[in-house]
Amino acid sequence: MNEIVITLITIAVVIGGILGACMYLVLAERKVSAWMQDRMGPNRVGPYGLIQPVADAIKIVLKEGVIPAHVDKALFLIAPAISMFTTMLAFAVVPFGPVEQAPSWLRFIIAPEVNIGLVFIFAVGSLAIYGVILGGWASNNKYSALGSLRASAQVISYEIPLGMSVLGIVLMSGTLDLNEILNKQAAAGILGWNIWFQPLAALIFYISSLAESNRLPFDLSECEQELVGGYHTEYGGLRLVLFFLGEYTHLITISFLTAILFFGGWHFPWIATPESTYRFAWLVKLAVLLAKVLFSVFLIMLIRWTIPRFRFDQLMELTWKVFFPLALANMVAVMVVMQFGMPPIVLLPISILLFAVFGFFTVTAKRLELARRRRASLAMR
Amino acid sequence: MSISPLLVYVVVLMAVVGTNLLLAHIIPPRKRTSVKEMPYESGMDPIGDARQPYDVKFYIVAILFLVFDVELLFLYPWAVAAYSSGGLPRELRGTVFAVMLAFIATLVIAYIYAWRKGVFRWR
Repeated sequence: MNEIVITLITIAVVIGGILGACMYLVLAERKVSAWMQDRMGPNRVGPYGLIQPVADAIKIVLKEGVIPAHVDKALFLIAPAISMFTTMLAFAVVPFGPVEQAPSWLRFIIAPEVNIGLVFIFAVGSLAIYGVILGGWASNNKYSALGSLRASAQVISYEIPLGMSVLGIVLMSGTLDLNEILNKQAAAGILGWNIWFQPLAALIFYISSLAESNRLPFDLSECEQELVGGYHTEYGGLRLVLFFLGEYTHLITISFLTAILFFGGWHFPWIATPESTYRFAWLVKLAVLLAKVLFSVFLIMLIRWTIPRFRFDQLMELTWKVFFPLALANMVAVMVVMQFGMPPIVLLPISILLFAVFGFFTVTAKRLELARRRRASLAMR
Repeated sequence: MSISPLLVYVVVLMAVVGTNLLLAHIIPPRKRTSVKEMPYESGMDPIGDARQPYDVKFYIVAILFLVFDVELLFLYPWAVAAYSSGGLPRELRGTVFAVMLAFIATLVIAYIYAWRKGVFRWR
């Protein structure tokens, strides 16, 4: 089929899929939180509340989008657009299925000619912070200003461990192309998944991604108790929707990245290997990949209601004092292993050892500090 | 004829986002009242401007980010070329390994310096 038609179909599938997924992720999030808090959750609109997203969408489109008098109008209008545009653009290089076995009318990756996928995602993904900063600045509201200030410090701090944690995988695979990284894992079987060599990097990557997308243990930029809505306090109606779409698209992208970088993408032993060429193999592989992605999304939702919000100093200490040296040590370990031709599986005990040693030091330092503070307060009495 | 799919995607995305912004202008009703146009501060009358000077810590973190992120960017091309089949020739790998270790050592020294200066202390 014509190349441009395939491109257009792929783009339509991606945009439609993401928008639909965002709508239903909101419902899923409400259902999961209801389940965790022993409530019913939305159950009035349609069976089990399944039409709730449609009702929400209609309602929020008809809402008045107030543009207050004190805002910087141009920036105020463009900020949500930036937020959504950049997060959606980052999805262009994510292979969302078995690229080699795609049906003739679909491609499973929007831009196959971009062979620096990881760098592209980090570059475009960190542009998304402009939406938050500009939104908060243009709102000219104290809550918004504080929220966007916090968000910018947080996002740029977590950018570094995020970028550094994947360097180990880049070193081992020798490529930045997500599809090639995936294929290498698939060719090596389930024991070739990167999670066996880089469990520490996976942990750092996952947590830093959560912080990057301002999800709940790290949502200091919009914590309701302190900052009302954070950077989107002054927004309403469709413009607010654009911010939320950006956030949920980020969620989907990091889930895809985790599945592809560390858990073998569409690969699963016996049913979805590179050798399986039965009819509709691509459908099975797509289902496997989506299952992994949905599991990751589900995990993020569980984390949201399990771990309380960090304090700002804890947040910054976590990235600068723990993640940064850990990611660096992990990268040096990969470097040494590759240089001296050791089997990559020795990285598993190294990762665990690094985690244990850093954990011990961090906990001990915290204990000592607490003891010192207790002594100081006793001395004052 | 080949058009870059990425370019097509950018154009389509801009159209989608632009349509959304346009719809946000057209569909909803608009009634201006003086209270609606005030900054939202939980019902209080706002005192002073929202654009106040903020803590110098945020600037320092930004500078630190700049330093480390640029260093990180230097690492990417090396990480791709270092051990891939079409990358560095085998006899150069030892030298590059040593050079990279020195590079990372400077990174670590900068990091320790920043730590000792108390950049990471937020209280």
